[in-house]
Amino acid sequence: MLFQALQKVFRKPAYVAFALTTSIVVFTFVVWLPNLSLIVEVMDHSGIPFSQRLGLPISLLGSIATNFTLLSASYTIAIALLFGVNLAVTIYFLRRKISEVKRSGIATGFMGITSGVLGMGCAACGSLLLTSSLSLVGVSGILAFLPLSGGEFGILGVILLSISIYLTAKQIQNPVVCKIN
Amino acid sequence: MHEHETKPSEIQNPPQTNNLSVPAAIVIAGALIAGAVYFGTLKNAPTAGNNQPQKVAEQPTGTLDQMKAISKDDHIRGNPNAPVKIVEYSDTECPFCKRFHDTMKQVMDEYGKDGKVAWVYRNFPLDQLHPKARNEAAAIECAGDLGGNDKFWAYADRLYEVTPSNNGLDPAELPRIAQYVGLDTAKFNACLTSGRFAKHIEEDVQNATATGGNGTPWSIVVGKNNKKYPLSGAQPYASVKQLIDLALQGK
Repeated sequence: MLFQALQKVFRKPAYVAFALTTSIVVFTFVVWLPNLSLIVEVMDHSGIPFSQRLGLPISLLGSIATNFTLLSASYTIAIALLFGVNLAVTIYFLRRKISEVKRSGIATGFMGITSGVLGMGCAACGSLLLTSSLSLVGVSGILAFLPLSGGEFGILGVILLSISIYLTAKQIQNPVVCKIN
Repeated sequence: MHEHETKPSEIQNPPQTNNLSVPAAIVIAGALIAGAVYFGTLKNAPTAGNNQPQKVAEQPTGTLDQMKAISKDDHIRGNPNAPVKIVEYSDTECPFCKRFHDTMKQVMDEYGKDGKVAWVYRNFPLDQLHPKARNEAAAIECAGDLGGNDKFWAYADRLYEVTPSNNGLDPAELPRIAQYVGLDTAKFNACLTSGRFAKHIEEDVQNATATGGNGTPWSIVVGKNNKKYPLSGAQPYASVKQLIDLALQGK
């Protein structure tokens, strides 16, 4: 059922392109996140040749191998891919105007994205958003008690996004059923 | 009883409120991502590296200009007068610092021999993630105090080599490392228990956060004309090299 629904969506090259582009954008964003200000500064520097300006952000993509653990790199890539697939499937779903159906898939997708954003990546030691957010309310010490120091949110994001895709695919495959007594 | 799948034309338009859930979800997700950028780049935001929770509003905006000037009191590897200096704020129990330590050694192999780059080491123990790191920072400082700059770096190299990271180093290893690098362990232990470097380490931590560091390793590449570039995390050697080349050109 899931496979058939995905086949239905991704038969159209535009959806494949959209999902891939979204995934690449999300992945790039997450990997660059700790050094966005540096990238902006270098890209904006008119005194540096363009090829040299481009070299830094490209080389920083390699930080997926150096600035992430195997686990965090895995769920970061998974979240980026699932995010792209989820968005493409949802748009397909909405464009066919079959959103009459339950919103559970979309709601789960939202939770998945939220959770993924909280746990995604790792700005070296300490996940960016999670550490900052918890610190604001004075409970960042809670991370020390989490076995994966916040990585749990990334894993949760992968699970919720997968559920979201499954639920949306289910709706695409069986859009609306009218029972005839 | 039969069930028939309806054709698209038979489907009634959903209520308007249902349609709002997706845009709302996208907007909220976007806001979260924007929040990630904001908090991630927020200078001096209290983080795991900040011992005492502080209110953001009360903190000055962290800028690289607040970096404590490099002086003879610093631990410098390589030519102290090198045109490019990389100031690294590091946590001995952070696995990424361990990785970046090797990257920096590679940097020194390529740029240090002819005096182009110097490596300045400062402490940035993240107490909430790695409670043992502050004591290890003191151990490195003690090594420097007892044996000079060479012993400082020998001790740091060995500590990063043997620690499994993530708060995994047995404190009993600290005097063993001292012995390994040729220090008097009795004097080393006395130094470690004295707490003599507590203030210095805390000053390093405060300076790291003042410059915008919110995780480790946090590095500042200082080039010609005192131009500073921030580098967050254990970035690949290729990225560090790119920055060094920019800094050497005085760009």
